Amino acid sequence: MDPLAAIKVTFFQECEEQLAELESGLLAMEAGDTDSEIVNAVFRAVHSIKGGAGAFSLEALVRFSHVFETALDLVRGGAITPDQDVLKLLLRSADILADHVRAARDGGEVDEARSHAMAEELEALAGGGEGGGSAAEADDGFGDFDFKPLMVSFDEAPASEAPATEAPVAEVAPEPSGRSFIIRFYPQAALYQKANEPGLLIRELARLGEVAVEVDGSGLPNLAEMNPEDAYLGWRVTLTAPKADIAAVREVFEWVEGDCYLDIVEPAAQSAAAATAAPEIDATQPEVDVMALIRQAQEAVIPQAAAPAPASLEPAKAASPDASKAKEVALDAKAQAATREAGGSPQTIRVDLERVDRLIDLVGELVINQAMLAQRVAECGLQRASSVAMGLDDLEHLTREIQDSVMAIRAQPVKSVFQRMPRLVREIAAMTGKEVRLVMDGEGTEVDKTVIERLSDPLTHMIRNAIDHGLETPEERVAAGKPREGLVRLAALHRSGRIVIEIVDDGRGINRPKVRQIAIDKGLISAEANMSDDEIDNLIFMPGFSTATTISDISGRGVGMDVVRRSIQSLGGRITISSRPGQGSTFTLSLPLTLAVLDGMVVTVAGQTLVAPLTAIIESLQPKSGDVRQLGPNASVIAIRDTHVPLIDIGRALGYRQNSPSPTESVALLVEGEGGARAALLVDAIQGQRQVVIKSLEANYRPVPGIAAATILGDGRVALILDVDAVMVPKPLERAASGPSAQTELAAPAPSLLKAG
Amino acid sequence: MTDAKAQKSARTEAKNRNELISFLIGDQEFCVDVMAVREIRGWTAATMLPQTPNFIKGVINLRGAVLPIVDLGARMGLETTDPSDRHVIIVTRIKEQQVGLLVDAVCDIIMPGEATVQETPDVACETVKVFVKGLLTLDGRMISLISLDHVLPEALDDGETDDHANMAA
Repeated sequence: MDPLAAIKVTFFQECEEQLAELESGLLAMEAGDTDSEIVNAVFRAVHSIKGGAGAFSLEALVRFSHVFETALDLVRGGAITPDQDVLKLLLRSADILADHVRAARDGGEVDEARSHAMAEELEALAGGGEGGGSAAEADDGFGDFDFKPLMVSFDEAPASEAPATEAPVAEVAPEPSGRSFIIRFYPQAALYQKANEPGLLIRELARLGEVAVEVDGSGLPNLAEMNPEDAYLGWRVTLTAPKADIAAVREVFEWVEGDCYLDIVEPAAQSAAAATAAPEIDATQPEVDVMALIRQAQEAVIPQAAAPAPASLEPAKAASPDASKAKEVALDAKAQAATREAGGSPQTIRVDLERVDRLIDLVGELVINQAMLAQRVAECGLQRASSVAMGLDDLEHLTREIQDSVMAIRAQPVKSVFQRMPRLVREIAAMTGKEVRLVMDGEGTEVDKTVIERLSDPLTHMIRNAIDHGLETPEERVAAGKPREGLVRLAALHRSGRIVIEIVDDGRGINRPKVRQIAIDKGLISAEANMSDDEIDNLIFMPGFSTATTISDISGRGVGMDVVRRSIQSLGGRITISSRPGQGSTFTLSLPLTLAVLDGMVVTVAGQTLVAPLTAIIESLQPKSGDVRQLGPNASVIAIRDTHVPLIDIGRALGYRQNSPSPTESVALLVEGEGGARAALLVDAIQGQRQVVIKSLEANYRPVPGIAAATILGDGRVALILDVDAVMVPKPLERAASGPSAQTELAAPAPSLLKAG
Repeated sequence: MTDAKAQKSARTEAKNRNELISFLIGDQEFCVDVMAVREIRGWTAATMLPQTPNFIKGVINLRGAVLPIVDLGARMGLETTDPSDRHVIIVTRIKEQQVGLLVDAVCDIIMPGEATVQETPDVACETVKVFVKGLLTLDGRMISLISLDHVLPEALDDGETDDHANMAA
């Protein structure tokens, strides 16, 4: 990839983050949080996108973000009150901005008419906020050089050409506790070409503290020689900001740094620093060399804020023992500098996902290797208390800890999926004419990145369904005595090592007689089937089932819930539904936190070692001779307490053997499939429970029916992980085993649902 | 394509070719492009896979990756190999996947230009056409140049008709 393309990729990644920031900021504002920090963050997000877009000459994106930014700036300045209507407009604008970004990235098209209409609305909003005078300026999008609030006087400008004059600084000289900066800012033409405006930057500075601005017009040529697209003006800003640091000042110029001459000095830094340091020094014994040390330390640390701290520590170490206090002070100063540098926000680094995956693979190897080593040592017959065995125990703990930490790197908050939903809800609400309020909970809940990525589609389907099928129209709701606005709640939480996601609506609930009738009409169940409410609710997950009488744009293609169920199952998850007529439905997804490891029961079948996922196993039992009964020519069932469940020999189901051993000499695992159906799986022996690292069979081979994945055990051999749902549907597998080609499709688990009853 | 042309194109191909690695299955000698070979290792017991064609010997652990083992002889319609310690696994890269090929023994490296490649003559057996790209003659030996593209069965959806699909390919 050429360097520019690489930078562009980074830009678009950052855009996604900025868009997320933008949306969450706007949503927070909609919820009534009008904290200036949030408003600023929203503005910054759009501004950053515009800046980057300018650098890559993405004109459509620059144009739209400029208009958007202008409106946001007025919101920020208080000229526009961000009431609900304004926020709705801003949120929709954020959607359009996202479309623009994606179009720029993927080379697609933006709905021009929509974008244009939105830009006009924003301009109208901005025009209203600025008053009649500047509405005309907003038209061309680039005329917003509004200097009035800053009181710049062009007349005085040429006089202050030399930046070295200290006089103005003295005038605005801060009170003892304040800090002041002198900023010399000379934009180059490139800055304007990227649609940046010095006016906005200076206004940004004004937010940090008091500013005194002088224009340097000395570079202005004669009118005849002037190139209208070149840059001739410079500014000298004296900023008095008690709280700001140099990093904050620099941040203002972050996007234009390469396109201007910029010089930021902090003449008062030393004196201010000395003043703040003074009280601490008083506490120590004011010995001369201690003072000198402190000064040395302060000098090393304070002026650049980014501290070459080790240098400050050296003299402290070299000093006599009573200088220890001085060392503390120096350390304090270093800590302060570090905090300032960090800016209080969590620090992150961007790492290529491949590297993380490689690390995870390696740690997986480490776990396997550690297990192998432990097994070898055990084979040597060493005592448990021997130093080797104890060292191995430590190694095991350490390995587990490393594994957990590495997994944590891949873990991400579900927020990245959740935050796409508000837009979806807005759009579907608009399409269906329903009024919907989306409430989200637990966005910070973390789960493996792969799980997150694959959650997006099912969640989208389910939210669509909740609004399209679940919620009633406002009129129906009012008639039913409910508020006009329907409620959809999306929540995530951790529960016993899994992540649980709930989609709750307060709509009409599942219409059971209708669902049942449709299932009968479509031949999915027989008319005589005696079904519980739960079973009827679960019918909506059947392939080809749809309750919508007309096929709408949004849902009702009859694939929705079936697809949802399958994609959740492919993640090792399960989906359940509970519904109360007239009060709404709740869909609950339960998913593993990671796709990389699995708790399993290691078993032996026909000389092969297999792993059964522990989540599916309810209990293991030793069948008694009277419990097993033949059912039909080939099948048998086992009595477990009051019910009979199918007894499936894993060896035969997988084609390892033709004849099952006597059940009484085997062990049965009572398992529950995703649909809630139960079966007893017959295995020869149980070896034990173990956490295993999941290895893909597809990576080098292809999916194998009845097998979910593979793993590597302590002896270094590959063991297969059982696909419980697939072996619970024995027919296709058996047919395949006796068939000529011995190959088959993966058994579809769906029908097992109905056999439950 | 006329014979002369075929000869010519085969020869040009030979010039641009990498080194080849040759191996034995039964009494026949085969070779593959050395660039496709990642490593060569002895036979280790494989874990059986259920519901697989007879030429899949199972999977082994190759430093943490699950590596399928193809009995190349059985795959090409020769006799099924009963693997023992003296058998060899050639670990190859086929497209994006790593696959182990079970063969009897590795013979030698054939330098480019050392032998000329001739097009596979028309013989009745379809399997030959699928797997053998050309024939090399070297010191009186005949070595078949193998194409690895069809070693693994096709994707699951057309798994049922896999072999026929290969034949037609």
